[in-house]
Amino acid sequence: MHTAIQLILTSLQIGAVYILFSLGLTLIFGVMRIVNFAHGHLFAISALVVAYTVPLLAGWNLPALPAYLLGVVAAVAVTLVLGFLMYVFGFRYFQRDMVGSFILSIGLVLLLDGVFLKVFGGAVRPVPEILPGTVTILGAPVTAQRLALCVAAVIITALLYWAMTRTKLGKALRAVSIDHEAAMLQGVPYGRIAFAGFMIASALAALAGALIAPVTIVSPAIGADYLIKGFIAVIVGGLGSVPGAILGGLFVAAIETVGGFYFDATSATIAIFLLVIVVLLVRPKGLLGHG
Amino acid sequence: MSIATKARLYGFGASLGLLVAFGGAQAQETIKLGLSVPLSGAAALWGKGSEFMCNTAAEEINKAGGVKVGDKTYDFKCIAYDNKYNAAEGTKVAQTLLNRDGVKFIGGSLGTAPVQALQSLSERQGVLLFTTAWGPSIKGPKFPLTFTQMSTPFEILPPLIRYVHKANPDAKTVVLLNPNDATGQDTEAVAKKVWTETGVKILSSDFYERGTTEFQPIAARIASLKPEIVDLGTMPPADAGTVLRELDVLGWKGVKVVEVGTGVDALKVTGGKAIEDVYMGAAVIFDGPGVSDHQKAVNAKARELLHESLNSIQIGFYDSVYAIKAGIEKAQSIGPKKVGAVMPQVKFTTFYGGQIGFHGKDTYGSNQQMELPVIITQVKDGKLVELSRISASTN
Repeated sequence: MHTAIQLILTSLQIGAVYILFSLGLTLIFGVMRIVNFAHGHLFAISALVVAYTVPLLAGWNLPALPAYLLGVVAAVAVTLVLGFLMYVFGFRYFQRDMVGSFILSIGLVLLLDGVFLKVFGGAVRPVPEILPGTVTILGAPVTAQRLALCVAAVIITALLYWAMTRTKLGKALRAVSIDHEAAMLQGVPYGRIAFAGFMIASALAALAGALIAPVTIVSPAIGADYLIKGFIAVIVGGLGSVPGAILGGLFVAAIETVGGFYFDATSATIAIFLLVIVVLLVRPKGLLGHG
Repeated sequence: MSIATKARLYGFGASLGLLVAFGGAQAQETIKLGLSVPLSGAAALWGKGSEFMCNTAAEEINKAGGVKVGDKTYDFKCIAYDNKYNAAEGTKVAQTLLNRDGVKFIGGSLGTAPVQALQSLSERQGVLLFTTAWGPSIKGPKFPLTFTQMSTPFEILPPLIRYVHKANPDAKTVVLLNPNDATGQDTEAVAKKVWTETGVKILSSDFYERGTTEFQPIAARIASLKPEIVDLGTMPPADAGTVLRELDVLGWKGVKVVEVGTGVDALKVTGGKAIEDVYMGAAVIFDGPGVSDHQKAVNAKARELLHESLNSIQIGFYDSVYAIKAGIEKAQSIGPKKVGAVMPQVKFTTFYGGQIGFHGKDTYGSNQQMELPVIITQVKDGKLVELSRISASTN
């Protein structure tokens, strides 16, 4: 029983970040029909900004939590600026162009890899402990930081889900995602909605990066691992589907945790790729995909 | 031709002649030392420190008059590229160094997989290769131009594991964790053998992919096996620190070993207080009466750049430059094959102090391994303490 609880908690902790990451990917795909391989760099820059600003602010005798919150604000701001530049000077011209956007995003990956290494250096950056201590849930220990991350991820996901189903912008995003031409005929301004979708996705990547920074290995390469897992999550869940991204994120995290626990990490990674193959064979559009 | 024109011409000719003569006297040819090292990712600190140490040795040699071959003098220059600790990037770096930059001496290389990619070219093209790669498969009579610039599992693991076992005789079980690549696999094979010979039962020996950022499932598995010892083999400091932190959260208490543990600071970045009592096999202490002024000065400079003390991986990149200098001067040639032929007989001054050469014929079939001491250290109250220093001759 204790093992099961530990595994469930671990899956939820890992899955929380995968969900936030995958939601951004799926939103961009749904609205613009492009695959953004540079999404991991939006995530990475956010984590890097947190890793740089928090120790700096802590050095000015600011307590850890306020320093972290200010770091998160800075990280989201920087990420949104990068997202804005990516959209305005790049993806705007390649909407609904899979090949063009693919080449563009690979180019951006190479460019940003070099820029990040130059600006931030390649070494791992430490983030001081924000919420010290460990809590026990049904006998399984979880750090306060991880728990806070999960709670934040649940709140953000719930807010996004509410916004997608209840607000005008959310409904427009969904309409464009289902049939952009029909949506435009109904008066939905596609260009503005695509821009909004891209910026929301950038913000989600920024929040995911800022949330994971205190509990992981922050380096310019951090986005690569999450990008692969995030893509697997959206493919399993269904490209363009918000509930699919949530389900896919949890699925990948569960396999990684259970596979890693009973076999080893490498076997778990193989299992995740096998899962993608099976899902693509049985349901090519993913578990909850429709488009 | 007017007198004025003639005068101008003579003046120009004389100036040109002086320039050529002066330039010729000043010109010192440069020998490029290529480096294939990780400059990004979890092992970036090792790569950056390695580049720093190569540059330090090259500067020292250049200032002291360079490398002398007959009446010619050469300077050293280090050129480093990021191999990202993987074979694919290692191949690109190998192509760049050997085919584009025309490098004839590899001053150092890090990571068995990228080094294997480099070696496949270097041996064929007659380029001398120094490496920290731990794999036994890269050494031997088949690879006469390859030399190892730091101690490897065959040198480090037996004394380290024996020491840990002697210090913790009640610990009877161990779990091993290594990166899933050539470095990890080669090390794991040696570690398994030595732990078993020592009488410690191996509960599990797992691998993980480099680039992994979530170590919770791995830590949960290790903790569930309830080992008395956890051996994190060749994990880079950031990864090892994360695993130790996650194990600490799960309440695991036991003997911690990081065979390639290179220092406290990098491990602390991700491990925090969980790194207490970790045994390491590749760290070096830079305080105490036995440390020379030169070692202290170089380490202080390195700390400014790296925020971490130097370790045996990085020191290998200093020693290799001096070994290449000694080899060139002994061979009286800058031909890498000639230098490689005399290298097993050369003696040079190591950063650790004293003259050393190469050994390893019994293990590898030829003398390609630097005769370096094995330093066993442990983290005590957040600081590194030297427990034992075993010279190569007694190892």
